[in-house]
Amino acid sequence: MNGTNPQKEAIQKLLLRLELWFAPILIIVPLAVSLFLIWDWYARGGSVGLSRYDGELLLALLILFGNIAVDIPFLRSIRTLRKKG
Amino acid sequence: MDSLKNTRQKIAQYQTDLIEQLNAIEVDAHWFRRVFHTFAASFLVYYLIPDVGWVGVVKIVVPIGIVVCIAMIDYRRIRGELDYQRFFGLRSYEKGRPASYLYFGIGMLLLLLLFPQQIAIPCILCASFSDPIIGESRYYLGKKQAYLIGFLVSLFFFLITWYRADWWAILAVSVVGATGAVVGEAQKLTFIDDDFMIQILPALLLLLVWQGTLFIGINILPAPLILPL
Repeated sequence: MNGTNPQKEAIQKLLLRLELWFAPILIIVPLAVSLFLIWDWYARGGSVGLSRYDGELLLALLILFGNIAVDIPFLRSIRTLRKKG
Repeated sequence: MDSLKNTRQKIAQYQTDLIEQLNAIEVDAHWFRRVFHTFAASFLVYYLIPDVGWVGVVKIVVPIGIVVCIAMIDYRRIRGELDYQRFFGLRSYEKGRPASYLYFGIGMLLLLLLFPQQIAIPCILCASFSDPIIGESRYYLGKKQAYLIGFLVSLFFFLITWYRADWWAILAVSVVGATGAVVGEAQKLTFIDDDFMIQILPALLLLLVWQGTLFIGINILPAPLILPL
């Protein structure tokens, strides 16, 4: 099977389309959620010195960095597929 | 003889094409699946929603509705009413059975609705982050090291989410939870996906530990990590 197989090409094109459609949601939502949790931690806990909201900050940082770590190779894979397409 | 040889060659070629086609789907959808896992950690925002009034009802009805919709779509896919090729990110063995995203959704729904957040949060983190980390490590380092890394990462999630509990409870819960998560991921069952098991197995084990300690008069559950708005 070579690169010009029409079935494989169709699959790749469809995949690319679907990935591109989902990409903004998959990237923006976790970032928005983590930033909101950080803001909430600051508003309810950090700014008034309450430590019971520190868990929110912890989770926010986990969501933020965990997602960024996967978003980078994900975006790279989309770029590679776009070049192929 | 020649026709037999030709037929054999054609079958061999067909098999090669099919395997390459399946590999193309699996390799290309690789990061798509990973990012879906990490994206799921965003659902922890659920715990910011208050439990009172109509919002409390919406908080229960909407997640159930979402999972029911996913189940209906998947049912139509399995029956062949929806084209299998439109569902990217699916593995070849998911063609005739419920897809892993449905198992993931059901697992998360059960955690959000039936378990206290102190148990649900680390289990959701395991499904969101430990699962892709194990998957990546397995590819580069092999199974044993991947599960060891998965255990350590899961241990970390339980340690940080239970940091307000007594030290002995933190240790016990982290070891039990991380073991449950890795066993849930490693144990490949025919009809139950690892995306479900990695969440539910540690949750059930922790529920047992929690109820067991309650039985002897000790409540090991720490204060919630996320307080509703």
